[in-house]
Amino acid sequence: MTFSNSNFPDKEGFYGEYGGKFVPETLMYALEELENTYNKLKDNKDFIDEFYKDLSHFVGRPSPLYFAQRLTDHYKSGSIWLKREDLNHTGAHKINNTVGQILLAKYMGKKRIIAETGAGQHGVATATVAARLGLECHIYMGAEDVRRQSLNVYRIKLLGAHVHPVDSGSATLKDALNEALRDWVTNVDDTYYIIGSVTGPHPYPMIVRDFNSVVGKEVIDQSKDLFGKMPDAVVACVGGGSNAMGIFHPFIDIKETRLIGVEAGGEGVSTGEHAAPLNDGTPGVLHGARSYLMQDESGQVKDTKSVSAGLDYPGVGPEHSWLKDIGRAEYVAVSDDEALKAFHEVTELEGIMPALETAHAFAYLEPLMKELDSSANVVVNVSGRGDKDINTVAEIDGIEF
Amino acid sequence: MNRLTSKLQNLKESNKKALVAYLVAGDPDLDTTLDLMHLFVDSGVDVIEIGVPFTDPIAEGPTIQKAHDRALKNNISLKMILELVDKFRETNTETPIVLMGYLNTFISHIDLVQSIGENSADSILVVDVPGELNLQTYGITNPNINTISLISPTTKDDRVESIAKNSTGFIYYVTLRGVTGSSNLNIEEIKTNIQKIQQYSDAPTMAGFGIKSVEDAATLAACSDGVVVGSSIVQMIADSSQSKEFDRIGKYLREMKTAIS
Repeated sequence: MTFSNSNFPDKEGFYGEYGGKFVPETLMYALEELENTYNKLKDNKDFIDEFYKDLSHFVGRPSPLYFAQRLTDHYKSGSIWLKREDLNHTGAHKINNTVGQILLAKYMGKKRIIAETGAGQHGVATATVAARLGLECHIYMGAEDVRRQSLNVYRIKLLGAHVHPVDSGSATLKDALNEALRDWVTNVDDTYYIIGSVTGPHPYPMIVRDFNSVVGKEVIDQSKDLFGKMPDAVVACVGGGSNAMGIFHPFIDIKETRLIGVEAGGEGVSTGEHAAPLNDGTPGVLHGARSYLMQDESGQVKDTKSVSAGLDYPGVGPEHSWLKDIGRAEYVAVSDDEALKAFHEVTELEGIMPALETAHAFAYLEPLMKELDSSANVVVNVSGRGDKDINTVAEIDGIEF
Repeated sequence: MNRLTSKLQNLKESNKKALVAYLVAGDPDLDTTLDLMHLFVDSGVDVIEIGVPFTDPIAEGPTIQKAHDRALKNNISLKMILELVDKFRETNTETPIVLMGYLNTFISHIDLVQSIGENSADSILVVDVPGELNLQTYGITNPNINTISLISPTTKDDRVESIAKNSTGFIYYVTLRGVTGSSNLNIEEIKTNIQKIQQYSDAPTMAGFGIKSVEDAATLAACSDGVVVGSSIVQMIADSSQSKEFDRIGKYLREMKTAIS
């Protein structure tokens, strides 16, 4: 296996007019160092072997492509296949990227690891790989997310990492990212920042995409084996967009497959209370990259709203913005209510409890399956499992433990 | 000639160091900001740096972040800030004004930035663009505005040269690895790096980030063309935002000015 041979991003880290490196000067050297290291290692056989060995033996890859019989029966048209990233070690696709980036940190001789997290999955995945290598680890998490994802906070602490709640701004994922960047500016000499999505300054969107592209590559092989052709559609939820980019990227040149990203519609896109920049945002610069962004007319970043902490982010990875503009991927949104309905439905029909993030992708099956004919094969990326969301769902359903 | 360029040139010719002082527009309110700008000038400040508030100021430490949040609660926009500068210019046409902020707020108002006239703000400092990137790329081509780039302790030599050449106002040397208001200045490293910058450029070099005391200012002024003070003043503004008694700030700035002369 090798990594991506994509022509994007360009030398400056742009995907069309999106991406780039918009960071304080102190970080420029660190980004350059990371880019040089990655460019050297991505063609290095030992590095690639070590990465894929860890993915098989530590993460448990490949994850199955599973035929969802009862969900398929439920929609009465087409076949629904589930890419089971929820079965990965630590319970989500996030571990693919952290396994890769911790190897980069190791090759670069960095002793201290930092990361931001929203739902906590990336925090858990980072704390896990840091524990495995015995590296000091600090996780920044919005105070509001610390509250709604208390289970993952405890998991991170059990793994020996430090959790720093962030009170500034809206106290969610974007503020955690701000704080992680500030830590990096301060401790840039000995610290490796493991960004958890295809966001941030170049080269991060490229690196995270490449490590997570193992998902899409497996789906291509598994589709051939299981139904003898390429899927008609691949559906994934999009917050920052790393699970979607990981499954979309190997399909970019496979034009017969529709790529559908589902954003968090919160109270509904028309209400403005959501986290769907590709549906209702405009291009702007946040966290080191130019991309679609939820912002007001003064260029201030708007607060977002979503039942899912992992999607509650006003920006999106720059490559998604590019795929939207060139029309290669479609981006839609579903509301909190629709996602919650899908959460219960999939749990009951398939015995698989999806993360609330993932439930957004499932919710879009409702309109999608109606437009497809009965021979269609649809792959849903089950980006993570829902155990972490039980408290949130119980609270919404009015249940006290 | 641009007001900022000529001011710094005059100071250099008379062997004086520049005192640059920072505040956030609209913290605690715009009327107070105007009063504080005049107080700055009366207390010996040579250049005023106005922070343009942004929701996600990644280069700022907690003190200035909170000031940005307070200003945003007052819905301060770039338009209001330029009106504030106009008011200031009614009685002061001499003191150069630098607008310091983040790219997204400037590119959201390109028309406003392009319309800045000779008797308004003089310079723009965008914290989140690499120094060698020309702001013209983003549509900022206004000849009345010069640009200030940052160079940090981690900037490599080959980039120092291109950044220094691209900075038309002054070069802002970030004196530490960290956000605004941090501590731990490494004086020897600062001296060496500023000397390196001066090999490549005749533009004045200001030292800033982490200057917390009159002593810090004196030490850094000795190896640069001037110093920028921000967080310590912003904290004093916050402390006195109720009473509006800012005598302490005037005293602090006068001490700074004396110490760096």
